[in-house]
Amino acid sequence: MVRNLIRETRFLAKDRGAIFWLFLAFLLSVVAVSFGVAEVREQRETIAALLEEDAADRANALEGQEDWGSAAYYAFHLTYAPPSDFAFAAMGQRDSSPWKHRVRMLALEGQIHEADTRNADFGLVGRFDFAFLAASVAPLLLILLLYDLRASERTMRRHDLLVATAGSPRSLWLPRALVRVAALALLLLIPLWIGTLIEGAAMGLALQATAIMVGSLLIWWLIVDLVSRVDASPSILLTSLIGLWLALAIVIPAVSKAAIEAGNPVPDGGEILLLQRETVNDAWDLPKEATMEPFVERHPELADHTEIEEGFEWKWYYAFQQVGDQVTEPLVEEYRDVRLARDRQAGTASLLSPMSMVERAFEQLAETDARSMIAYEDRVRDYHADLRAFYYPLMFPEEPYDSELLDDLPSYTPAS
Amino acid sequence: MTSPLEARSLVLVREGNTVLDGVSFTAEQGEIFALLGGNGAGKSSTLLTFLGFLDPSGGEVLVNGTSVTSDIAAARNAIAYLPEAASLYGHMTAYENLDYFLDLAGKSASKDEIDAALDRVALPQEARTRRLQSYSKGMRQKTAIALALLRETPILLLDEPTSGLDPVAIDEFHDLVKTLAEGGQTVLMVTHDVYGACQVADRVGLLRHGKLVGSFAAENGKRIDTETVHAAFAERQAV
Repeated sequence: MVRNLIRETRFLAKDRGAIFWLFLAFLLSVVAVSFGVAEVREQRETIAALLEEDAADRANALEGQEDWGSAAYYAFHLTYAPPSDFAFAAMGQRDSSPWKHRVRMLALEGQIHEADTRNADFGLVGRFDFAFLAASVAPLLLILLLYDLRASERTMRRHDLLVATAGSPRSLWLPRALVRVAALALLLLIPLWIGTLIEGAAMGLALQATAIMVGSLLIWWLIVDLVSRVDASPSILLTSLIGLWLALAIVIPAVSKAAIEAGNPVPDGGEILLLQRETVNDAWDLPKEATMEPFVERHPELADHTEIEEGFEWKWYYAFQQVGDQVTEPLVEEYRDVRLARDRQAGTASLLSPMSMVERAFEQLAETDARSMIAYEDRVRDYHADLRAFYYPLMFPEEPYDSELLDDLPSYTPAS
Repeated sequence: MTSPLEARSLVLVREGNTVLDGVSFTAEQGEIFALLGGNGAGKSSTLLTFLGFLDPSGGEVLVNGTSVTSDIAAARNAIAYLPEAASLYGHMTAYENLDYFLDLAGKSASKDEIDAALDRVALPQEARTRRLQSYSKGMRQKTAIALALLRETPILLLDEPTSGLDPVAIDEFHDLVKTLAEGGQTVLMVTHDVYGACQVADRVGLLRHGKLVGSFAAENGKRIDTETVHAAFAERQAV
């Protein structure tokens, strides 16, 4: 077998057409990894710059405040989901879901969802990252490398001579295809491995990514091999395989996405935002009891401190902000649950499309999948709850303002 | 003694058409056996059954006494096959082609051995490092014959080997085939060239519509009489 592989490697080195496709694969991989690394660095730099500004901006906002309500109102807090060390390989949902917010003590859900359409263009067309290359482009390159292994030899009337000389077809076609698949995998993966080293990602991730990539190529090799056994001209084989690629890469994912979305209607972020703002705005015109009663239901420990004596009091203001969140809770929960359900169903549907499966696997490794982005939103909610837990016991009993207590203000910690 | 090549009542039906119908013959060691026939007579199909590319619908073909269908690899290892218009790789030189195909056959040869084989087929020295895409048909055929020589198999199957060659090249080729047979190789060639077959073959079989309808042998050191075979060939074709 080793001898066959060496022979076919030397043969491949003389095949200009194959060399072109392999060079293109390497070039595309370098470009995809470079784009990914550059994007991740830009996001990290953005976060670092925002963190610096965040601390300074908050210190500035808190300076000179005289009551807890004003302090909470003017102080913004940066929340963010830093890209993982492997995110360069798959930007995934980071293009369609927000990964940074500036939140304050006001109603939260509107703050989360007012940014949910950012990068909508990328959400639609997708980004040229390694996951896309591995999932969609690599199979196409494999098709171009393998589709006419047999057919071109038949066309050139060399097939019988080759097989008769080889004795067994296995000692010819298997090593010839294997060398091409291995060369393609290697040239695609080398830039990924270098990117992994540059980004300091765990080698375990690189190994898993390698396994996914190789597994995908093996599946496509099997498909191409089965199709190319048909005694047809190279052009017919290529047309058939491209058609299959289109079906698996575009038609099946698009149809299953449409079916999943139709089967799982979800309120969009705009609806949540609108409902919350209407609730908050309406609260100004409602009797204060209409706000304080549902608030106390959620915070019975503050029941003794909810009497509003003046026309405007911060605790009433924050109470109706919270009630705004409470009113949207069913919608938010539905939104969250349906997104998770869609994600689960998309996982099942990906069994029909190797491309979708590979892309999802890469997004999971890179922590840029839907679950990771929902986990980030949950983290923002937890942090906002910490802010309320800090301010409410000071604000509602009307404790005297003490700026030194702000040293204990909760700080946001991203997922490690 | 076992014949290197033997067809026993060989029947081949493809897509409902009977291509070979009860063909039987043997080719002995050191013998050149030519199957002569017109287009569609079943000549090339006969060769392909010996190589295991076509499975007999009836009867059997044997290489060195072993049924091809039971051990295709053994049959192919014993045979060097020269297809019509042998198409080696145009983007490689003669050296590279021979190196590749020899390796494919599980053999290796030094550059001197390759040069010796190319000398035997009279391929010009200057052409050997050129890509085959610049070769004439005769030069490509010579390179393919050199491959057959280098493989040193006991059996040689030739499919229309002189088709497209000029008269000088044909004569050179015939001389070479005779030399190989004298060295002990069994040669089965299929051709529609009556004159060529009679010049080179020890025995000639006439194939018509898949049936072996006549057989002629060289006797007493004389070549087969071309006129006799030509008359039989023309008569059979006219039937």
